[in-house]
Amino acid sequence: MIFWVWVFGLIYAGLLVFASLRSYKKNRSSEEFMMAGSNIGLTLGVLTFAAALFSTFTFLGMPDFFRINGVAAWIFLAVSDGAMVFLLLWFGYHIRMKVKGMEFRGVAGLISRCYENRLAGYVFFLSSFLFLIPYVGIQIQGIAIFMDAAFPGSFPAWGWSAGIVLIMLIYSEIGGLKAIIFSDAIQGLLLLGVIWIIGWACLSHFGGIGPMFDKIGTVQEDLLSSPGPQGLLTPQFLFASLIAILMIPVTQPQFTTRIVVMKSMKTMQLMAVSLGAFAILVILPTIFIGMYGADLYSEYGRDEFFANAFLYDQPDAVAALAIIGLIAAGLSTTNAQIFALGSELRGLLRGNENSIMTKTKIGIFVFSVIAFFFSIIVIDQLVLLARVSFAGTGIMGPMIILGILSNRKVSPAIIYLSLTGLIIFLLSLGGWIPDMYFDIRLDLILFITLGIAAVISHLTGTKRQLIRPKTKE
Amino acid sequence: MEKKRLYWRICCVAAIILSIITFTPLVIPQGVSKPELGGVPYSLWTSFVITVLLVILTYIGTRVHPGMQNEEEDL
Repeated sequence: MIFWVWVFGLIYAGLLVFASLRSYKKNRSSEEFMMAGSNIGLTLGVLTFAAALFSTFTFLGMPDFFRINGVAAWIFLAVSDGAMVFLLLWFGYHIRMKVKGMEFRGVAGLISRCYENRLAGYVFFLSSFLFLIPYVGIQIQGIAIFMDAAFPGSFPAWGWSAGIVLIMLIYSEIGGLKAIIFSDAIQGLLLLGVIWIIGWACLSHFGGIGPMFDKIGTVQEDLLSSPGPQGLLTPQFLFASLIAILMIPVTQPQFTTRIVVMKSMKTMQLMAVSLGAFAILVILPTIFIGMYGADLYSEYGRDEFFANAFLYDQPDAVAALAIIGLIAAGLSTTNAQIFALGSELRGLLRGNENSIMTKTKIGIFVFSVIAFFFSIIVIDQLVLLARVSFAGTGIMGPMIILGILSNRKVSPAIIYLSLTGLIIFLLSLGGWIPDMYFDIRLDLILFITLGIAAVISHLTGTKRQLIRPKTKE
Repeated sequence: MEKKRLYWRICCVAAIILSIITFTPLVIPQGVSKPELGGVPYSLWTSFVITVLLVILTYIGTRVHPGMQNEEEDL
């Protein structure tokens, strides 16, 4: 296997270097560095959005989620993604119209402008920081665990994590957002190819889709229906997850940025459709891997399942591809998130552009170091931590949608309510307050309450004349 | 333009209805895996169909979105 890891690893590293160098320009402007010149075409757009969205959470987390919770996991992610791409179409149109003719410097900066209140930007940045960093950390950790299983004893887990963070920093520093987008394209294709190769191998173990579910019916029948053996996938959990995932393009800055930097409205809209198709293609084989795990490794822990299904049971070349595919999946998402945090920080800074860029780069470095430390200390299920990340940032959804859509001068109350919602959610995560009230999940209560507050704020706002800056188009 | 606006609204309503029925016993009857389709459990094949329909609706949405009319940007 080592031979194949070197072969695929060198090809992958070569492509990353190529992507970085192709994106490198001397004396580039900060707009080019942070926003890739806002000129991303359809193919790159789909692949970068997909690579940022489908991470180790999909590559490792979803097979494990199917293995433990059964087929309703499809609703948790695939149906939610299907609805999300429709919302992307709607929200993408509005945010692009909003930023038309103005320099987009991240969602935090935009939202501060919409509310004419810098607190809105700070609250948004706080939620992004709090919920993206642990998510980045656990993905780095996921890669480290996997590498440790592939090369036991060669490096400590933190050594792998440090290496991943270093690679991420180097190529984002050289090429900026454009390098990240190019490498995302490579990584998106790699992820799709590898997940299908392994998924197909797992499906072949059963001899087809029908025999697969027949066999699972004899092993653990609960896996074939909702809520699954753990009782987790209830309608309420799935509905709250839908709202959290729907809010991803609105509240996770790495996605909002990608919507804005697309070349044109038409490209953005076609990207939404293609992303929906990509989601179906990438999630489908995770069912096969999950069912394979349920058949052979139902009693095993997470790490043993990963090591067996992705490495030990596969031919050497496929196992090597799995390692490179996993690194690709993790890297593309983590660098997108870390870079987006840098971009949000830039939107909040004031002063000379050179000094802002220096501070932004320092910020990206600091966020990476914090994520590295999280990767050493965080222990959780990939999918559930990802869901917490989506829900945590999702709390900001009503505030952002109101700011972008409303043509009225609205009360800043929604900013304070969103901050309060964030604090309440954090208290429940820390176990200081319950996460269920009257049998309703707290995150669902927060989404509904803030949604209603946003509607009331709009209705009670005073109408104002919008002066749109002249555009070049 | 008015027709496009109407079609876009129909798309939005259809997407909302599809999303909501996913969480009803119509798609996820608790503890029930039949009737199967080609050996695929009930909740999986119904929710798969819903996912495909949502993507198709998104495509139709790109064709009928009223804002596209005003866009001068090219592909």
